[in-house]
Amino acid sequence: MTLIDKLANREDLISPGISACVGCNVELTLRTVLKILGPNTVLAVPPGCMGGVGVVGWDKKAGAKIPVFFPLLDNVASMLAGIRLGFNARGRDAHVVAFAGDGATVDAGFQALSGAAERGDRILYICYDNEGYMNTGYQRSSSTSKGSWTSTTPVSREGKGGKAQHRKDFPLIMALHDLPYVATASPAFIPDLVRKVERAMEVRDGLAYIHIYNPCPTGWSFKAEDSIAISRLSVKSRFFPLWESRGRKLTITVREQRPVPVADYVAKIGKFRHLGPEGIAELQALTDERYRYLEAMEKSGAGGDGTGA
Amino acid sequence: MSQVEVFNGNLAAAHAARLSRPEVIAAYPITPQTPVVEYLTQFHADGLLDCQMTEAESEHGAMSILSGASLTGVRCYTATSSQGLALMYEPYFRASTLRLPIVMNIVNREMISPQTVWGGPQDSLTLRDAGWIQLYVEDNQEILDTTIQAFKIAEHPEVLLPVNVCYDGFYLSHMSERVELPTLAEVDGFLPPYSSRHIILDPDHPMAVDPLTNGRLLMGYRRKHMEAQAAALRVIEQVDSEYSDRFGRSWGGLVGEYCAQDADYLMISLGSVCGALRECVDEFRSRGLRVGLLKIRSLRPFPRERVIRALDGKKGFGVIDRNVSFGTNTGILYQEIRAALYSASKRYPAAAFIGGLGGEDLTLEIVERAIDATMASVDAGEVAEAATWLIRPEKRGNS
Repeated sequence: MTLIDKLANREDLISPGISACVGCNVELTLRTVLKILGPNTVLAVPPGCMGGVGVVGWDKKAGAKIPVFFPLLDNVASMLAGIRLGFNARGRDAHVVAFAGDGATVDAGFQALSGAAERGDRILYICYDNEGYMNTGYQRSSSTSKGSWTSTTPVSREGKGGKAQHRKDFPLIMALHDLPYVATASPAFIPDLVRKVERAMEVRDGLAYIHIYNPCPTGWSFKAEDSIAISRLSVKSRFFPLWESRGRKLTITVREQRPVPVADYVAKIGKFRHLGPEGIAELQALTDERYRYLEAMEKSGAGGDGTGA
Repeated sequence: MSQVEVFNGNLAAAHAARLSRPEVIAAYPITPQTPVVEYLTQFHADGLLDCQMTEAESEHGAMSILSGASLTGVRCYTATSSQGLALMYEPYFRASTLRLPIVMNIVNREMISPQTVWGGPQDSLTLRDAGWIQLYVEDNQEILDTTIQAFKIAEHPEVLLPVNVCYDGFYLSHMSERVELPTLAEVDGFLPPYSSRHIILDPDHPMAVDPLTNGRLLMGYRRKHMEAQAAALRVIEQVDSEYSDRFGRSWGGLVGEYCAQDADYLMISLGSVCGALRECVDEFRSRGLRVGLLKIRSLRPFPRERVIRALDGKKGFGVIDRNVSFGTNTGILYQEIRAALYSASKRYPAAAFIGGLGGEDLTLEIVERAIDATMASVDAGEVAEAATWLIRPEKRGNS
């Protein structure tokens, strides 16, 4: 079955009419991911955009056609670990999946996620990273890029301010838990995303983690129709490179031999409007440095699969 | 046939958990609960406990893991103490409002600050309004019996609420006593396997658990939760009587009474200090003074009617609290008893005491002093508006 066939023929497991913003590429990501996962799935959607737009449900209406629930913001991985144990106890199997924003993942839920990763709980954890708490009007998270305007890192009338720190390199932090599978993905690279979800579904010996970068038209202030184009630019500029790893064997899956300047990516996004050449140069330097590090990891990946074997 | 053993409180709790066949256990060690986790992991390693056992990264994680597991319809157990309970407050409250019949022993330990690791039920009493059933016990046999009963109470179709069985850190957790240990087959006969019908995450029967819910619907859930607590008043007594029929031990259900029937003065407390109170009751009785003991076993649901009945015909009462209720000048139990008695036909004279915080010893001498003071203030017809502090005289050279 080709990718097109899969996406065209498989049932959309999210109810129609959820109230995501116009141009939301997280909704697209979720619907795509669930077509691949199929109905034998239990889905955790913590507080955040997808919870807010009704993927769990409103009152007596369910937002998904599969078992779905709200974990707490900070216990997504723990609750899923428990679900896996419950299934194990009764000899059942199903995909046990998180679809969580960056706040629930890189901030409040990090301890639970790191704990589950270390224990080797068999869950598939997907983070949709839109660089902050978008559902409540864009407050900063530790995944917010340096310089970003957010409602809690405002910009003064003189054009000074924005977030003072660089974002965590979170997918790499997860990879260094020596997980059986970690990947980054983008809604602008659906074949790459689908292949990664399929690989993550095959994992039997621990936690699989996929970090998806989802630029947000509403929070970041860009045109809804540019949603995919800007997602694509984030990869083409190497600002958010696409890779996968098994243990410490890391492979870059989408190579941009002639990356576009980060300035071209930043220029289209309202939250960076106040950034001068220095601020943009800093983002370019970070991008280059992190990419060099990834390449070095890829080269040294002969090192092993993280099992110590 | 049950066997007679010598167990500390933590070992009694661990055996009770083992005998109840939990399917998932997740725990995180904390003084003085730590040995419970060690005993259970050893039982598991030795093949004496067939369950999914996992080591959580925190108490928040432990209760969250069990919440997930319970949502798949399996029996779950854990234990914690003080700061650990405080850390798990978020999933703790939610386990009750999701109506997950998890059983958790709380090895009562004082809350910091100042820094302390010693006993006192401030930790669980503070959380009395979080929707769990909270049972308090006095000795190690009662820990074992009540923990087994807790699963049956929690999983009763009219209850479906999580249950805490709370026992004092160190005084019980680390003190050894004679304990009768039933066999697995005997407990199997008492406690059937759990199967969830009210809430389940199962791909064969998709359910949306906890969609965003409007206030009107939410109030319906709260009301049913209250009704379940009310039903538990009856179920706790039923389960105690059923347990007594099978194992020959009754703990009185919602409350325990000692020399209470014909007493003039009723001393009221919960937990291990009731042991000292029994000794003192005997002492006062030997002097012809009609003192009795009312031990509150169930704090939630609160046994209002049994308290009113127990006080019927008494001159008055005194409450010993090993905790504080900031802003009320008394302890939590005193507040609860006074609230319950608002609908009694008589206004009872009452004395209030606070003592034994942070593991501080409540010696027989101190408890006798409290009884003397109760008798005096009851005879004077006083109702205490502030607690008397039970503090040992300072030793010379000690700060």
